[in-house]
Amino acid sequence: MATYLIRRLLLMIPTVLGITLMVFLIVALAPGGIGAGLAVQGGQVSDTSKVAQMQAYMEDRYGLNDPVVVQYGRWIARVCPVRFGTTSLESPSGDRIAVPRELPELPMQWAFPAPATFEVTFTPQSGDALIEEFRTLQRDAEGRRRTYVGSVRAFKDALADHVRVLGDPWTARLDPKGGADPTNFRDLPLGGGQPTPVPADAAATWAKVNAAAAQMHQAWSLAEEARQRATIAFAARPFPPAGVEVIRDVVSIDSPDFGVAFSRNRPVWDLIKTALPVTMLINLIAFPIIYLVAVPTGVLASIRRGGVADIASGFLFLLLYSVPVVLAGVFAIGFLANNQYLGWFPVSGLHDSAQATMTFLPYTDPSSVWHRGWLLDTVWHLALPVLCLVYGGFAVLSKQTRASMLDNFNADYVRTARAKGVPRKDIVISHVLRNSLLPLITMFVGIFPAMLGGSVVVERIFTIPGMGSLVIEAINLRDRELILANTFMISSVSLLALLLADILYALCDPRVAYE
Amino acid sequence: MTAHIHTPTPSQPLLSVADLAVSFDNGAGPRIQAVAGVSLTIHPQQTLAVVGESGCGKSVTAMTTMQLIPCPPGRVERGTILFGGRDLLSLSEREMLKIRGGEIAMIFQEPMTSLNPVYSIGDQILEAIFLHQKVAADEAVEIALKALDEVGIYQPIESRLKRELVALRADVDAGKASVDAMRELERTLPERVRGAKMQLLSDYPHRYSGGMRQRVMIAMALACQPTLLLADEPTTALDVTIQAQILELLSDLQRRRGMGIMLITHNLGVVAENADVACVMYAGRVVEYATVEELFERPLHPYTRGLFRSIPGVRDTRSRLTTVEDVVDNPAEFRLLPGCQNGIIPWWPFLPQEHRPQLAPGREPYALHEIEPNRWVGVWRTPYIESHPSRRADLTTLRSKSAVGSAGASL
Repeated sequence: MATYLIRRLLLMIPTVLGITLMVFLIVALAPGGIGAGLAVQGGQVSDTSKVAQMQAYMEDRYGLNDPVVVQYGRWIARVCPVRFGTTSLESPSGDRIAVPRELPELPMQWAFPAPATFEVTFTPQSGDALIEEFRTLQRDAEGRRRTYVGSVRAFKDALADHVRVLGDPWTARLDPKGGADPTNFRDLPLGGGQPTPVPADAAATWAKVNAAAAQMHQAWSLAEEARQRATIAFAARPFPPAGVEVIRDVVSIDSPDFGVAFSRNRPVWDLIKTALPVTMLINLIAFPIIYLVAVPTGVLASIRRGGVADIASGFLFLLLYSVPVVLAGVFAIGFLANNQYLGWFPVSGLHDSAQATMTFLPYTDPSSVWHRGWLLDTVWHLALPVLCLVYGGFAVLSKQTRASMLDNFNADYVRTARAKGVPRKDIVISHVLRNSLLPLITMFVGIFPAMLGGSVVVERIFTIPGMGSLVIEAINLRDRELILANTFMISSVSLLALLLADILYALCDPRVAYE
Repeated sequence: MTAHIHTPTPSQPLLSVADLAVSFDNGAGPRIQAVAGVSLTIHPQQTLAVVGESGCGKSVTAMTTMQLIPCPPGRVERGTILFGGRDLLSLSEREMLKIRGGEIAMIFQEPMTSLNPVYSIGDQILEAIFLHQKVAADEAVEIALKALDEVGIYQPIESRLKRELVALRADVDAGKASVDAMRELERTLPERVRGAKMQLLSDYPHRYSGGMRQRVMIAMALACQPTLLLADEPTTALDVTIQAQILELLSDLQRRRGMGIMLITHNLGVVAENADVACVMYAGRVVEYATVEELFERPLHPYTRGLFRSIPGVRDTRSRLTTVEDVVDNPAEFRLLPGCQNGIIPWWPFLPQEHRPQLAPGREPYALHEIEPNRWVGVWRTPYIESHPSRRADLTTLRSKSAVGSAGASL
């Protein structure tokens, strides 16, 4: 059994990775690609060139311009508990601080030779002063890097303007958005050339290109110096290394780092930490309800086969099964929650806005006003979402229970039990039902992922801040980190549920042994 | 057939079925008459073999005795089943629960599926014990162990350990092993045997072969000391050697406990070797009822003769064997009964109209009639039969089982 469990758990790793890769590829292939949501945010800045520079900074910061596979690989490297390369540091607040990144290469070095490389040497301070120094240097390096990345974008824009002035055939080499990729203009005659005659404005734009290049080189030098300083300070280890270092700056072991959700600028793990319990809560309430309603109903239907209970439950459950959640949710809000109608339940959310001031249990204050308290408030808020989550699940499970009960009623061992003189009630429960449980466990495997999927819709309808809402938001904004982390968590939870089902199966059926 | 040792015992019948008729709902079609007037009697220590083709009503008779026929679709139309002075058909479900498993036990054809796969062998035997005996848990375990012991399930374990001991003794004699090791084994042997037995109680049925499972079924059926055992084709699903072992075991247990057995089978060899009285059935009716010796020596009903003649001999060189139809389709076969001139013609549903005698008024065309002392044959119910009522089918015959030679093999 232990071997089996270990094998199953190990097999889960490639499965989860495969699922995340698939999801990531689908997002990357969608129009706009990864980080499409960020482009909109840039619109808050008025100046168009500033927007472009902001965009460039974002793309640089999150590596959005890299190929999809590289982005995925980088994610894997961060999530994998075994880390290679320079060990990250862990700040007192628990953030992971990675070694300062190399600067992106200077473009068009054949036309504008890069400034001479240099090596900064300085001795960092020690103790608390080092922390302060590193923080300053890090901030400095980031700011200068940002300026440099912006200047590269400005240079490219100037080049594009120049190319547009030159006209055909050069304009054909611009990319669809009108940007200029310097590698497409290797044979651009410096300062003029084709077409003849050179347009009158070309000299002016070329001057701008040169100016942008000069600015870019200056920014590079500053950024490079700041980077080297920050790197030296980093190497002095202002903070302890993150996780367990196996070989210094070569191999270390650390907990998975899901990165920062760039749509919210918060660590993904923080978001999941608040959202996952909400979704699990809803599902862990819904699951027992489904089983507690569907299984006894199925048993009852099988005992009185063709009776009123059988036909009525079959009809009702099938009816419920065929109502889409979207419709049921809207009706539930419209009729049960809307104050114009019944207004029995809250319209949305998981808690009342005044939850912080609530007591846990209901109580009546001295002026004999009844307060429902936090617990009842939560139950009250959960009623409609859980209702929407469970009603469709009864049909499949109760039909399955009924069918397998009927199967077992005709089994030979039931006849044996009757011949032994076992009373009918005991036959139903300890012989028939016990054997009918086995397919129900297998059903769990099929239902659980479907329930998680269903809760995406329900959470959306009732604005519950669970994994479902998080997933939708992540997909809308193409937030790479959030999508991957969500997929990772949901598929892990599903796979663990499948494993649980297999273990339960082995416990319930002595014929199944995992060896 | 060699020795004929009849041991008539003037006993009260254990089970007495009279004129039992059971039918089943057939949807839109007419009801299916599975059993249409069966009478039979079983005495203590007696084995009654119920023989017949598939669908002739053997199992329905036994299941009705246990009240295991689901109603609907089944329905008992008439008849009585007397057991211990009470008519089982008139008992409530609660009263039947005490009889089922407690006084009448039943074993089935399919040992592979007759045990519940999710409960251990011990649990299933203990369930039966707790239902019918007021005993403490440890007593119940002892009863279960004894029952399993009786069906010989531990023989392989015991003989393996004994062989081990014998081998060790030989080694000690040869000076290859120390006396201490032997002493140790001798001392721990009972403990190990018991350990192995307890282990078996917690084992699940899927780990056992068909023959072993049938032994468990028998142990379960016999754990509550029933006085009557209904064995519904207990050996059909087993191979020939295991079949012989199981039947040997049944008759051994019967001898020790004085149990009555209704042995349902369609194997005439099994009848010859194990039964005292045979009851041949066809189409829900008893066509012939006699002691096994007399039945095998001189079958009176053409159907019974057909059954015997259709058994091929070892040196049979005919290209086409005799079938039951060859016998029963010959009207001359129906004129061989003593009293034929009085219109005593064996009952046969497919006998052409011109060969049937004039029937007495009434719905039932069939009657089980004592043709000669202790020989009953199913005949057409003519006015003559009507005016000469015979004894109920009841034979107290027991025969010494060891006296039966190779009757089965010769068939």
